[in-house]
Amino acid sequence: MIALWCAVVLGAPALCVALAWTRLDVERLRSAGIVASAVMLCCASLALLVPELGDWSVAGGLLRVDALSTVLPALAAALWLFTVTVTPRMTLDRRSLQRIAAATTITTLMFLSVNPWALLAASVASVLNARGALKPVDGAPLKIDAYLVGSLALLTAGVVLATAPFARGTRFETVGLALIAAGALVRQGVAPFHAWLPAAFDHGRLGPAILFCAPQVGTYVLAVLVVPRAPAELLRVVAMVALVTSVYAAALALVQRSARRACGYLFMSQSSLVVAGLDCTSHEALTGGLVLWLSSSLAFVGLARCVLVLEARRGPLDLTRHHGGYERKPLLAVSFLLLGLSCTGFPGTLGFIGEELLLGGAVSDFPILGFLVVASGAFTGLAVLRMYFSLFCGARSEVVRLDLRAREAIGFAAMVTALLVSGLFPAPSVRSRAAASSLLLQLRTAPEGANAPGPAR
Amino acid sequence: MNAEGALHLAVLTALAGPAALLVVLGVGSLAARRLPERVVARMTSLSMVVCVAGLALALGIYGVARLPPSLWVARQWFATGAEGLEFDLSLDGWSLSFALIAAVISGTVGAFSYRYLHREAGFQRYFTLFACFVLGILLVALAGSIEVLLAGWELLGLSSALLVAFFHERRSPVMNAMRVFGIYRVSDAAMLIAAVLLHHSAGSGNLSALLLAARPVSAAALEGAHFTAIALFLVVAMAAKSALLPFSGWLPRAMEGPTPSSAVYYGALSVHAGCYLLWRAEPLLEQSPAARLLVGALGLATALYATALARVQSDVKSSLSYATLTQVGIIAVEIALGLKVIAFVHLVGNACLRLVQFLSAPNVLQDLHGLERPAAATAGEAGPPSLWVFSLERGGVDTLVDRLVIAPFVKLAGLADRLDRRLAGERQPRADRPAEETGK
Repeated sequence: MIALWCAVVLGAPALCVALAWTRLDVERLRSAGIVASAVMLCCASLALLVPELGDWSVAGGLLRVDALSTVLPALAAALWLFTVTVTPRMTLDRRSLQRIAAATTITTLMFLSVNPWALLAASVASVLNARGALKPVDGAPLKIDAYLVGSLALLTAGVVLATAPFARGTRFETVGLALIAAGALVRQGVAPFHAWLPAAFDHGRLGPAILFCAPQVGTYVLAVLVVPRAPAELLRVVAMVALVTSVYAAALALVQRSARRACGYLFMSQSSLVVAGLDCTSHEALTGGLVLWLSSSLAFVGLARCVLVLEARRGPLDLTRHHGGYERKPLLAVSFLLLGLSCTGFPGTLGFIGEELLLGGAVSDFPILGFLVVASGAFTGLAVLRMYFSLFCGARSEVVRLDLRAREAIGFAAMVTALLVSGLFPAPSVRSRAAASSLLLQLRTAPEGANAPGPAR
Repeated sequence: MNAEGALHLAVLTALAGPAALLVVLGVGSLAARRLPERVVARMTSLSMVVCVAGLALALGIYGVARLPPSLWVARQWFATGAEGLEFDLSLDGWSLSFALIAAVISGTVGAFSYRYLHREAGFQRYFTLFACFVLGILLVALAGSIEVLLAGWELLGLSSALLVAFFHERRSPVMNAMRVFGIYRVSDAAMLIAAVLLHHSAGSGNLSALLLAARPVSAAALEGAHFTAIALFLVVAMAAKSALLPFSGWLPRAMEGPTPSSAVYYGALSVHAGCYLLWRAEPLLEQSPAARLLVGALGLATALYATALARVQSDVKSSLSYATLTQVGIIAVEIALGLKVIAFVHLVGNACLRLVQFLSAPNVLQDLHGLERPAAATAGEAGPPSLWVFSLERGGVDTLVDRLVIAPFVKLAGLADRLDRRLAGERQPRADRPAEETGK
């Protein structure tokens, strides 16, 4: 049963990668992608319902599902399904569909492994897969590659140091874990290693940039390699840096002129909050961070895809102008607003639950800095409303067609519904993430060499 | 079913009315279905009748059965070990009375709005936000835990900002809505901080210690410093929501919305929500002289400020809004003085009076062919010339906020943005600088 589950979850995106080499036209490839991602989503969700699929390990932990990762393959599948469903025709080609499927395969492999070398290999593959698409389309001389290569170099050095037999229990192991954390922070866009992220959103291809960032694989690396073994001081430093970044990025999102760049800063703010939650080490904050990981990934992808859909119809979006169009397409406007509100932790959305838990836990660990979560939420709310007003309010435009295709409309409506329903009935999500949080805390207190995810295993 | 069960059922029914309306109209928006005006109007009427009937029944049961004030855990949202989030409602004579008054006022505005907004492009959008508002104000009125209060508080803020921007084809309502929302976010943030402090001090977000005047319980659970901190953050939340100084600048900007929404938000309910919150948290103020003093000072200053400004307004809606604010300031002073009953009666009376004045203003304007007058005509009504100029400039509150908060923030953010671009290797073109930096 486990083999079959793995075959479907990993085989569905891999099959679509292979299909992209055939002569199928783009719309058929998209249809195949939609079917394959839906099958993958259904199958991955079984890990939440069938206990046997929710806790197993093969090949000495090379592939493994535990309380932390039960929901993550389903997250990767949901992001894939949503992406192929709502991506506008003009921004989609054979190579993009292949890249999306390959990104899903790599992300799923990462989520199913706790082996540091496997995670490193998957990180390299992920960067190589996205590298071409993240290059500036306008030829701007950016240093995105340098940041990503730097991230991989830090990860490599960290994994080598932390897994070396001589390093166990010594200061070298701590240095190794710190390097892994630094590599993950670069990937997540946490200050001061963040400058590549808004630039990639602004100058690169937006679709691939969204998919490269949204699953938050850097957070996963932190959760399985660093959190269980790192000293509390290291985690505290990472959490503090992440808390400051979340406010910094949300504040900068508020003053951006380019909608793409504002999206980049919003993602930075959200991912920093998740990182802060994971590194607070209290059960409540950890649960909040994990819930926020799910909600922010889904909400951010939805929000950024709204921008992409609008951009495909209107060209570059300047936030100092009011573009109008609410009357023509209220669904997109309402979806944008609700997805943005979920990012801000608005009551009734899953983001509210995550942020409530995170705030409570963060304030326990950091009585003053913990309140930065509140500031971050306030700035994010303002940034989202400013974007909403700019993108959908203003004089009516009769020239630009905003009509959504049925698949786009269904995609956005489904994403909003999922976030609202999981926010109004959050018990299953919270229970699942609370179990993951307990597991991570248990691993932190487990004796040396115990069966724990991490470089020493 | 016993009396308590009947009370719970009646309250749930009342809340279900606006919640169902919000779901139906919200799903309609998501499905991109524009419902006929008549259908929207009938659904709104039905939901408001259910709401008012439910609350009237609840208040009747509460009074006849002589039930004690209680905190009802209507539903547990989730629990993670010792932590959890509950949907608590505070059921007592005061909360049920205020909820009933709010429902009656909202129902009246709803009925008025059908005709006022007839054939308006945003008819359905208005009633979706209206449902959001009614649900929000009921949650604020009945909140038994600070999370429920927060949920209602944020619903009020969002629906208010979106209604200010109702005529969103024009730039000015949208810009003003942004400003209003900015102040509301300050209020929400203060409320959230109070919520977290309460959680950490008392071990739960339960408001019974604050609202039901169970002072021995609250004194045992909370220390003096915590009392003061929670009280001060609640005062900030209340001041921002009720437009007390120094947050008064948003009130005239909020008049850009349709008149019915101005009536219900800035004449009747939303602007009084902060006062109601303080009124409920009076046991907390008793324990915190600093917060009490702050409420009194803010209330007094706001009353004087608003009464001066009300005399120089050139349009009837702004004039009425400042008249409302004058009374809100006085209500805050009454609460600070501990005059609970007088404050409650004043609050309800002012809400009803302003509702009628706001709703009748358009008719009076039409009958008299305009009541609006140029600002110059108000010279002499506001006292000496210096006070007149001060009032015309609205006390410079907005200018101060611009100079002390917004301008430094934008400048700092611009610097940070340039640094980020440089770190990414980008040479920033002039046209792509941060928005506000270019003055647009």
